[in-house]
Amino acid sequence: MKEKLKAFSFLAPALLIYIIIIVFPGIYSVVLSFFEWNGVSEKRFVGLANYVKLFTNDVIFRIALKNNIIWIVLTVCITVVLALILALVLNEKFTGRIVYRSIFYFPYMLSWIVIGIIWKWMYNPNFGMINTFLGAVGLDSLKGSYLSNPKIALYCIFAAALWQGLGQPMLYFLAGLQTMSSDVLEAARIDGAGKINLFIRIIVPMLKETFVIVLATQIIASMKVYDIIYVMTDSGPANATQTLATYMYNQTFSYNNLGMGSTVATIMVIIMMFIIVPYVIFSTKED
Amino acid sequence: MNKTGRKIWFYVVLTIVAAVWLLPLVMLVLSAIRSTSDFYAKLNLFSIPEKIQWSNFKDAWTDGNLGRYLFNGIRTCLIKVPLGVLISSMCAFALTRLNIPHSNGIFIFILVGMMLPVQMALIPLNIMYSKLNLSNTYFSLIFTYIGFGISLGTLVFRGFFRSIPKELDEAAAMDGCGKYRLYVNIIMPVAKPAVATMFILDFLNTWNEFLLQSVLITKDTMKTVPNGLISFMGEFSTDYGLLSAGVLISIIPVLIVYLVFQRQFVEGMAGAVKT
Repeated sequence: MKEKLKAFSFLAPALLIYIIIIVFPGIYSVVLSFFEWNGVSEKRFVGLANYVKLFTNDVIFRIALKNNIIWIVLTVCITVVLALILALVLNEKFTGRIVYRSIFYFPYMLSWIVIGIIWKWMYNPNFGMINTFLGAVGLDSLKGSYLSNPKIALYCIFAAALWQGLGQPMLYFLAGLQTMSSDVLEAARIDGAGKINLFIRIIVPMLKETFVIVLATQIIASMKVYDIIYVMTDSGPANATQTLATYMYNQTFSYNNLGMGSTVATIMVIIMMFIIVPYVIFSTKED
Repeated sequence: MNKTGRKIWFYVVLTIVAAVWLLPLVMLVLSAIRSTSDFYAKLNLFSIPEKIQWSNFKDAWTDGNLGRYLFNGIRTCLIKVPLGVLISSMCAFALTRLNIPHSNGIFIFILVGMMLPVQMALIPLNIMYSKLNLSNTYFSLIFTYIGFGISLGTLVFRGFFRSIPKELDEAAAMDGCGKYRLYVNIIMPVAKPAVATMFILDFLNTWNEFLLQSVLITKDTMKTVPNGLISFMGEFSTDYGLLSAGVLISIIPVLIVYLVFQRQFVEGMAGAVKT
């Protein structure tokens, strides 16, 4: 009994805070999604009306959902692939690799706000680096104010996110590569396995755990993308860069539509559960 | 191609890619030491400034209130990060070392929190703190940050603790060492790489956090760095030299933390990857 109490005393602070900050608000938010509420007057129960409205009669919600999907695809196809290539290169033993690692990791330490500020200047039509460069190499026809073009604004923000976000998955892959025994690689090399063969048959399967954690964290982060859009375009022009997170914020704090905001948040969680549940099952099943 | 030739090519390509990667930063540094008139005369972020103007840094620190925001951020981190490390390492210790029933279930329950969006909690937390008269207090901010950090902390520490052999516990028990002393004197000192990793990750997360802070703290003098930078930007929207200097100042603490802990970082991350 005394042992149990002792064990509980180690667990209690974390569990208590976790329940107050995460679990309880999460449940409350789901409850709010069934109400219409402006935060001041009486709440009005509306059942599933908020959900129905979002899916049948809300163009902006559809844009936001589409943008999140685009963001996930870009992250998986570009960020994760480049991070893996970089990690393979920087896992080789050569002088100065720590310096190179730090260079690619460095932007990850900056806040999205700083990234947003820097890249907004890069895209500035009058003095930004991108347009200056295009002018210098004679491609004046490509010059323009990228962030105010609804067709490409989202992709321009993604470029900034790539600059920031490459370091994190790279570090995960590096850590995964380091846990790999060099004997296996050596043995494969002696057996005459070519580089590509070695990669597909040995490295990728051995990095399975790392792939799962990288893909799960990257997809979840893509679902949550908010800060950088807030700074760079504030979900404009004309809602072209709206995401679920920005739309949730706008509904709640700009239009005082707390019920609708909670509905968007709940939908985000439901979508994310499709990634979270398999991931959690995978990462705990080996016990 | 011979070996030396390949090596040279390897370095050349890698260095070019790395240089491109650093360009935004170079632009930032060049703008920070440029005077405003120089900036508008050239309208080219990569031209070398005619005269280095250090006063941008001084002005950002005082006129831009940046010193204040930095102080707020450092204080928040210095309270939040050690508390977070303590609470989540204790939790992971209980889950891996104390034979708790359903420890796997509890872990899954905690892990899910890492993935839920902050947005989910914004409205309820806001209501809760205003009902408790805790709006615009550092207590509300730090308490919330600790809550959101528990999942990641438990994940990292649990991964690391599991790699520590159980024989160590048995040897300690034979020497008459209780569970508290096992945690303080044996497990935590062995887990230094995990502590270092959590210090960096938690410091970064706390230092850079924007959304929760913008909702929980609305008083300008209490803002931490990311929101402070937004106010700063609003105030000096056309003074790019000052803004760049401010942005540079805001990343110095993060750089220091990274340099201090980076040696142990990759090792600790390896623990996090092995869930």
